[in-house]
Amino acid sequence: MNGWTLAAALGLAGGLGTALWGVTTGPLRRRVVAQNLSTALACPSLLLLSQAYNRPSYVDLGLVLALLGPVGTLVFARLLAEELAEDPPRAWGATLTVAGLGAAAVIALCVATGPGRAMAKLLVIGALLISGNIIASRALSGGFRGVRGG
Amino acid sequence: MADAVIVVALLLVAGCATAAVATRDPMRQALVLSLLGVVLAVLFTVLQAPDAGLSQLAVGSALTPLLLMLTVRKVKRRAQGKERER
Repeated sequence: MNGWTLAAALGLAGGLGTALWGVTTGPLRRRVVAQNLSTALACPSLLLLSQAYNRPSYVDLGLVLALLGPVGTLVFARLLAEELAEDPPRAWGATLTVAGLGAAAVIALCVATGPGRAMAKLLVIGALLISGNIIASRALSGGFRGVRGG
Repeated sequence: MADAVIVVALLLVAGCATAAVATRDPMRQALVLSLLGVVLAVLFTVLQAPDAGLSQLAVGSALTPLLLMLTVRKVKRRAQGKERER
């Protein structure tokens, strides 16, 4: 039994299961937050899977998701701005919890890979993931009002 | 143990796809579709097809929701313009 596979399966079942529940029920503001957090939860699981299968090239999936996930959320933040302005989502607790989970997964993987280029790549992915997640959360809660309109 | 991950990913895809079909409002459907894109990419990775997963991530997580939202917005604006003309 592989501990990395177990961690990835738990992360997928718990994290994405919760995100699925959040994105299908409740008011619009909860749905966009759940969509934002789903990418931040899937990325560490993909990194853990790459370690579980012992294939370093699978890390690229995590990199692409860390880059494109916040972009997708920014699309929603921009096009749903009118609906969200009346009732802005505030979920800093959940956002920071998910960011902490991602950081923990990245640190564990860094310890497992050891120093080198692979570790630098993992650290870059972790930084992209957390910063992108926080920027997307801020955009959803109406932090960038100057770019509205049009 | 590897089978457990495949089962989890398959269940997530089934749940997501059902939820996407059951949601009526197109804007909320776009949110579920974006989640479905991510979950499908995870399923492809688990089934050892990361190349398919990469393209699925690029298309499913950002492009499909963007196209849907832009279309809904345009249709809504056109409907509002017609109401004003009356």
